[in-house]
Amino acid sequence: MTTETDHVPSPASRKHRRRRPDLTTPGLLGLPLGWLIVFFVIPICFVGAYSVGALSLFPGAHEMTFSAWNDFLHGSVYLSLFWRSVRMSFTVSVVVVLFAYPLAYFLALSGTKRKYVLLLILIAPFLTSYLLRVLAWKVILGSNGVLNSLLFWTGLRDPDHPISQLLYSKFAVMLVLGYVWLPFVALPIFVSLESLDRRLLEAASDLGASRWQSFRKITLPLSLPGVAAAFMFVFIPTVGEFVTPSLVGGVSGYMYGNQIVDLFGASLDWQTGSVLSLFLLFVVATLTLVFSRFLQIGRVTTG
Amino acid sequence: MDVALSKNGARILQVFFFLVVAFLYAPILILLIFSFNNSDLPTFPLSGFTLEWYRQFLHDSELHAALRTSAIVAVISSIGAVALGILASLALTRRRFRGMAAVSALMLSPLVIPYIVFGISLLLFFHAISFPLSFASLAIAHIVLSVPYTILVLVPRLEQIDSSLEEAARDLGANRLRTFRSIVLPLIFPAVVSAFLIALVVSFDEYAVASFVAGQQTTFPIYLYGALRFPSRLPEVIAVAVVVMTVSLVVVVGAEIGRRHAEGRLGDLDLP
Repeated sequence: MTTETDHVPSPASRKHRRRRPDLTTPGLLGLPLGWLIVFFVIPICFVGAYSVGALSLFPGAHEMTFSAWNDFLHGSVYLSLFWRSVRMSFTVSVVVVLFAYPLAYFLALSGTKRKYVLLLILIAPFLTSYLLRVLAWKVILGSNGVLNSLLFWTGLRDPDHPISQLLYSKFAVMLVLGYVWLPFVALPIFVSLESLDRRLLEAASDLGASRWQSFRKITLPLSLPGVAAAFMFVFIPTVGEFVTPSLVGGVSGYMYGNQIVDLFGASLDWQTGSVLSLFLLFVVATLTLVFSRFLQIGRVTTG
Repeated sequence: MDVALSKNGARILQVFFFLVVAFLYAPILILLIFSFNNSDLPTFPLSGFTLEWYRQFLHDSELHAALRTSAIVAVISSIGAVALGILASLALTRRRFRGMAAVSALMLSPLVIPYIVFGISLLLFFHAISFPLSFASLAIAHIVLSVPYTILVLVPRLEQIDSSLEEAARDLGANRLRTFRSIVLPLIFPAVVSAFLIALVVSFDEYAVASFVAGQQTTFPIYLYGALRFPSRLPEVIAVAVVVMTVSLVVVVGAEIGRRHAEGRLGDLDLP
């Protein structure tokens, strides 16, 4: 904007200024809201249009049909693949939360000095490139990789019989997903334990409760929102994951997300692919709504 | 007596903590070691020290092109995301309007949408309106993904600022734009820089959505993904990995420390 208002305003210039563009609510919201509607909401509507055949990859006559939805919901291989991915993702989330809880507990409640430094050390790996962390595991787990060669070298295993199931397996996918998300997941649990009022624990102790009792009756229940948030932080991104399984999963680590990619890529079945995508979106959106009060995103809206 | 942990409990948890940290850093350390190893395969025993892989990486024009593409997309999309993020955060903190909760939820929803679904929706959308897939489509996608991160950084900062400073400026005759430029922007500047850096990292590291909307462009993650599928280039990629991890760690940790430091100095202004 111009700098004409930099001098002391005279009545004339004040009148002039009223007509200049100002930061009104529509002025503030117009661009960001418009951007998200055009490039986020409307594109999702296009997926809906493709899923019912209102739009199609192939030009020519085509009519609206719910057949792809019908096929999907009634005993398709896709639905069982979806449940398989849910089970994998669920297992990873539970294991990661079980690991993260004692970490967060140690940082928040052991009275250690420099807890924020330790927290940063824990989270730092999460801030590096995702693909490169997957790469590290590919290097480690490969049949010509670090782990196998270390076993041969130290004579713990015969070079003719490497452990071949390490890479390209369901196990590899779950290990890498757990590795990738573990640092980040301690954070919401740490936040909920940090805000715990220690006087509650002191009161419990004065009243004769053992540490284990006060943990079970006070600390754990009060930290459950953080645990739920932590669980969702892993579950939501991993259930639709396709990058990690395509790099370390092989055939047995194939997930729902890989199926979506293949439907849009190799098999050019955009209609079925759209159905699968929307179904995933629906599940994730429902989970997010149900758990939103734990995800602490709501805090922003109440401000 | 400590009410949360016994002495032994604290010791056990401490050991557990450092075991997990070792587990988290071991793969990164292994990459570092093998980036200097004189062999085509990452296997033990180590066969000697070399800088060959770093030399190759310095002379790989394909890689340089990918880094350049990613840098351009990251800078453009971060500027866009920060601009949109500032506007949205001002509306969310300084205005009352109907549907505020819904608007806020929409602005943050790119955080939870599965990236594969978002990538595909954009692909179908651009296909339907015949929009060419290139730099513009990549930047558009990354702006959507980064806006919520900028809001999450900017909103708490805006809430900290005493709004009587803005009211005073308004009373003295400044319009809202001038108030923003002279009062609000300088106070939130550390958060703006921090939001910009986070958006840079988000864009620079993003593979899933980019793989759908990049068209013929090769961003750095797309290049990496290709190199990962064909292990012949493994040692060179490991060297690249070490460099990129170091740089991104320095940027993110530096940004966080810098923001705290700067806001600490500005803190005197907030609470008179």
